[in-house]
Amino acid sequence: MKFRAKIVDAACLNQFTRVSNMIAKLAKTCTLRINPDKLNFILNDKLASGGVSMWCELEQENFFSEFQMEGVSAENNEIYLELTSENLSRALKTAQNARTLKIKLTNKHFPCLTVSVELLSVSNSSRIVTHDIPIKVIPRKLWKDLQEPAVPDSDVSIYLPVLKTMRSVVEKMKNISSHLVIEANLNGELNLKIETELVCVTTHFKDLGNPPLASENTSQGRNPEEMAEVHIDIRKLLQFLAGQQVNPTKALCNIVNNRIVHFDLLHEDVSLQYFIPALS
Amino acid sequence: TAAMLKCEMNGSQVKVFGKAIQALSRVSDELWLDPSEKGLALRSMNSSRSAYGCVLFSPVFFQHYQWSTSMKMNDDDRPLNLNCKLGMKSILPIFRCLTSLERNVEKCKIFTRSDKCKVVIQFFCRHGIKRTHNVCFQESQPLQVIFEKNMCNNTLMIQPRLLAEAIVLFTSSQEEVTLAVTPLNVCLKSSSEESMDLTNSVYSEMSVDPDEFDFFQIGLDTEITFCFKELKGMLTFSEAVHVPISIHFDFPGKPMALSIDDMLLEANFILATLADDRSRASSPQSLCLSQTQKRSDLIQSNPKADKSGTSQAPECISRKTAPKRLYSRETPTNNSAGTCGNPPTRRANGASIFEVPESSLSDTDEGPGSPYLRKFSCMFFGAVSSDQQEHSNHPLDSLAIASDSEEDVINGSVSF
Repeated sequence: MKFRAKIVDAACLNQFTRVSNMIAKLAKTCTLRINPDKLNFILNDKLASGGVSMWCELEQENFFSEFQMEGVSAENNEIYLELTSENLSRALKTAQNARTLKIKLTNKHFPCLTVSVELLSVSNSSRIVTHDIPIKVIPRKLWKDLQEPAVPDSDVSIYLPVLKTMRSVVEKMKNISSHLVIEANLNGELNLKIETELVCVTTHFKDLGNPPLASENTSQGRNPEEMAEVHIDIRKLLQFLAGQQVNPTKALCNIVNNRIVHFDLLHEDVSLQYFIPALS
Repeated sequence: TAAMLKCEMNGSQVKVFGKAIQALSRVSDELWLDPSEKGLALRSMNSSRSAYGCVLFSPVFFQHYQWSTSMKMNDDDRPLNLNCKLGMKSILPIFRCLTSLERNVEKCKIFTRSDKCKVVIQFFCRHGIKRTHNVCFQESQPLQVIFEKNMCNNTLMIQPRLLAEAIVLFTSSQEEVTLAVTPLNVCLKSSSEESMDLTNSVYSEMSVDPDEFDFFQIGLDTEITFCFKELKGMLTFSEAVHVPISIHFDFPGKPMALSIDDMLLEANFILATLADDRSRASSPQSLCLSQTQKRSDLIQSNPKADKSGTSQAPECISRKTAPKRLYSRETPTNNSAGTCGNPPTRRANGASIFEVPESSLSDTDEGPGSPYLRKFSCMFFGAVSSDQQEHSNHPLDSLAIASDSEEDVINGSVSF
């Protein structure tokens, strides 16, 4: 198994750092999948995360000037690694004004992802900083649980409002209730509702628009006003929203009534899918 | 009359003073105010005796500086100092929000007397607002440390910004950091011992070119490991006063010094370093260390130390020589009026125990009119008075606990 990659472009490095920061906010521990074309950050630990799953994908050639990998075997030319997300984001933080960034798989006492940064200091001498991030190699037999989740047939698909606004609303709601209803219809309306013995609070978002594909797939008979809803843990929604430091290029959510809400985001060239199941 | 301190600062001086207190708060929860003719020294030592910090403000730093010892003599026939120890919890909040203090405070007055039990800190602010803080103090002899910076084989001087870039590398969970040097290269890295203990920790390493240092002298290839916390404290302080930091060190086990030196103030942090011998416990608390042989000597000669559970205390800073009798009750050790904290220059049997260089012995020659801007190259460690009584009341105040055996009492200075 081998992996070496290099980033020389400042914009690519910043974007990669942003992705890593986002992953660190969304999942404490995650799986990094490496194949010749893509890198994926995966969370599919149903038990640990209470059913939440995450699939983040980026095309390696959009980031790396050099990229070499050799998977477990010729037929299975992939590498699956488990790591603590924060370790990677912290290491990348030191690469803010770096000339180059190299990442490679190494084995120093134990398997590591070694991040090596070349910094240019004021006095024009270069300084090398390396971080050995401990990782665990995930064996072949567990790979089947780490595949891209199927996008469910949703009842409603809708574009999301500005995530920062959503986040501040949900942050306040969290103080009142531990669970929340997210509902939307094909008329571009989305509501966030909480209810306790003493109070009900609903925030209404209008004129959001619905993606065209969704309206085609749904049965002709669906009333555009009819809401599809899911009851979810408010903290899970908040964690997802907190991970989005920058407003995405595209953001939509798919709701399967009483089953699951699926968030589908695009941050420039990095896609993120996040699934929150209904509370049982 | 009582020993006394009275000083006055303006807004920007208060900011620097506050930064010093903040840096010392990284060392321990207690702070000594120790005035002398050299200026006002703020001192702090941690409970495991593995870190010591002192910031000495020269009298010219202040708008106004006045101090005196008491007219009363103690048993040893010496005048009593202001032995003033404050809790960091009491004094740190007063010097929070330094930027706003700098802006709003026109004058700050600090006043205390050894017969009152409190320090009065007054801020005269804009718009006629006056804020007064009364902080109770505990009577306690300050501890000091002698460290021969000039005798170290390795000296580096570096701009604080550079060190700040290095600090970012290490996570807050990592307490120890290793500095590895050769004449061609300097490398700061996570302590490998610590990394081994924590299976999930990242091992980081940063190499710095010798050209980046303002001063670079390596006489001994070495790797020393020390606690990070105090380095961060000193770094913030040096950034605030815009003065480069000097690092003086030798071999593992021997303490290292971080210092900054400017015309108005001098700051020194003396930190213990990990000895090569791995048999110690890996807890960062026990980062006080000397060679094991010395450790066992001390334990034998200090049966009390073991029982009281303070066996850490005597071992904290390694010594080049075996302990000798420092002084007996009869020998006057300090002439506080002129030479507060200076080592005794005479002992019962005449030999000098302190291995103190000429430059600091010359302190005793200074009369009251001597220039304030003299820098001193070492600071020495020990209780200011040799009062055995006090020693047994505050066992942790001395470097080593008094023992019953003929082996000696190290209630005074130790040099390296």
